[in-house]
Amino acid sequence: MDKSASPYRRKAGLLILVVLTGYAVMNLLWQGFQSYPNLPATDPVTIHEARIAQLRTLLPASGAVGYVTTVENDRIFAAEKTFTNVEFLAQYVLTQYTLAPRIVRNSPDLPLVVGNFIDGPPAPGFLEKNGLVPLKDFGDGLILYRREGKP
Amino acid sequence: MILFLIASLLISLTSGILLTFLFCPSLKNGAAGPAFRLFAGSGLGLGVTSCLYFVCLLTGLTQHLSAMDLGVCLLLGISCFIFFRRPAARGGQPLPETGKRSRFPILLAGIFSVELVASLGSFVFAFLKEPHGRWDAWLIWNMHARFLFRGGEHWRDAFASGLDWSHWDYPLLLPLSIARSWKYMGGESLSIPAVMAFVFTFMTLGLLWCALSLLRSRIQGCLAAMILLGTPFFIVMGASQFADIPLAFFILATLVLISLQARSPENQPGALILAGLAAGLCAWTKNEGLLFLLIVTGSLFCTAVYAGGWRSALNRAAGFLAGALPILLMVIYFKTQLSPANDLMAGFGPAAVAAKLTDFGRYAEIAKAFFITGISFTQGLIDIRVGMHLNPGAVNILLLIGYLFLAGVRIDGRDRIGLLQSAAALGLMLIGYFFVYVLTPLNLSYHLATSLNRLFLQLWPSVIFLCFMIAGSPEPVQSPGDRPGTAPAQPETRSTKENKPKKTRGPK
Repeated sequence: MDKSASPYRRKAGLLILVVLTGYAVMNLLWQGFQSYPNLPATDPVTIHEARIAQLRTLLPASGAVGYVTTVENDRIFAAEKTFTNVEFLAQYVLTQYTLAPRIVRNSPDLPLVVGNFIDGPPAPGFLEKNGLVPLKDFGDGLILYRREGKP
Repeated sequence: MILFLIASLLISLTSGILLTFLFCPSLKNGAAGPAFRLFAGSGLGLGVTSCLYFVCLLTGLTQHLSAMDLGVCLLLGISCFIFFRRPAARGGQPLPETGKRSRFPILLAGIFSVELVASLGSFVFAFLKEPHGRWDAWLIWNMHARFLFRGGEHWRDAFASGLDWSHWDYPLLLPLSIARSWKYMGGESLSIPAVMAFVFTFMTLGLLWCALSLLRSRIQGCLAAMILLGTPFFIVMGASQFADIPLAFFILATLVLISLQARSPENQPGALILAGLAAGLCAWTKNEGLLFLLIVTGSLFCTAVYAGGWRSALNRAAGFLAGALPILLMVIYFKTQLSPANDLMAGFGPAAVAAKLTDFGRYAEIAKAFFITGISFTQGLIDIRVGMHLNPGAVNILLLIGYLFLAGVRIDGRDRIGLLQSAAALGLMLIGYFFVYVLTPLNLSYHLATSLNRLFLQLWPSVIFLCFMIAGSPEPVQSPGDRPGTAPAQPETRSTKENKPKKTRGPK
């Protein structure tokens, strides 16, 4: 099958292709170049990882730990699904990402529980309701709890 | 540590290149032939060595990983040596050699080089912004790599951890490739996932360039690569460390190898086996790869029945499946013995299926999303809080259509069946994706907004490849092939009927 185009059409096609791809490539580079000076010295994931990594010394090398944060556990995923807040899920996932191969369960019902309150404290009475007693406060909203059974 | 990283990559690369020598012994077209071996071979090698690492994990032989890798590499090397000592192996008819260059390709190569350097810069900026990659990288792929590497003898525990949100049913090619490099280095390094992302991104680009340089002309190769470079989403997703770009690489490799076997009869059985291997590695990279493997096998078989009858179709399907089978067996083992159920299979009863299949509102919503995303996906991730909107940017599917309209269509008779197979595979993939959305148990808008653009990107390099396989040459036609300055070493264009697969030399 050969439906050859006239030389002018071929040249026009070539010119459009070269100009548009060149523009797209340079535009992306320019965007990267422009955003570079505004980048933080350390990216958010590395900052979060360094913060959570402090827990490692007090946790067993394997097994599961619990997790609590500013909102109730069942709202972590619900907020992301409705596009209202992805931060709580990101914080939970990054906690798991840092502490692997330990399993971080999205629940306060485990003997050791990680409290990640970078966005503020939980609702009053939440910790007491779940029998969570602080083991160590690392500062910056990171607390390791021991669970003592519900009152 | 760097030396061990280089060693791990070199072993993968060498294994893959040796595979291409073994199964495609005859590839000569200036720099394009060796480049094809380098780009296609590197990806296949990374896939094969990830499989080897999985076998080592299953058998508890991870401490002997490097010895096993070297053993396989040596075995492939010896096989190549024995094979190339046969006079028949050396006497194959090569692909046409490219003749002397005119000024135009050199100018185009210069523009391409500038775009390549600029894209490398964009990739580096994206990496510096997010060295851990974007959301799915640390939620899925790099997280899985950490579990596999840090878990030691208890690496299986993660699959039964109940952490469904991390999608433990996703195949392991990328996490295993990362963990394997860490194993060689003796520790974790943040740079390894980024190195893998870089390698797959630029191997996809290189494969597209050299495949078209081999099968059409250097100019077509350059233009196609420029379109891919001009796709901001491709570079952004590459730097994001997701598995979509590795999958795009293996889909492209499958279709390129299918086209290659039609062009060089002496490579026929080998190229088909390698195409099967690449399709198998699709299934080992992402769940969408399983759909691709199924579809490409079906399209290969059906078009072969149409073109050459049942016997020829069975022969071709057998060659293809012979390459895919070892990987497919591993995927089946992984899916049945290790991975939890897929979230899309949840609540998959006949009543729920029937209700969704008869809900025509879903079809309309998906069709609208396909249209908007089809034109806009090249521009990057969408803000899910804003939702989908038309954002065509400079490079998109309309540019390909416009270019085809201006440059005209010129199809080599030898390529017809391969093109038909590839087009059928890509079309059926789109239909398959459509019905995955029709049946999804997830919120439809959420599912479309968070995944459709990535699904389109997986097929994008192959769509560009297909487009430039049929596009007329931008230079005046001078020879039976559309290759200016090319010595027409191949026989004249054959008809479809003459293009039936024949019994040829090659590895048995």
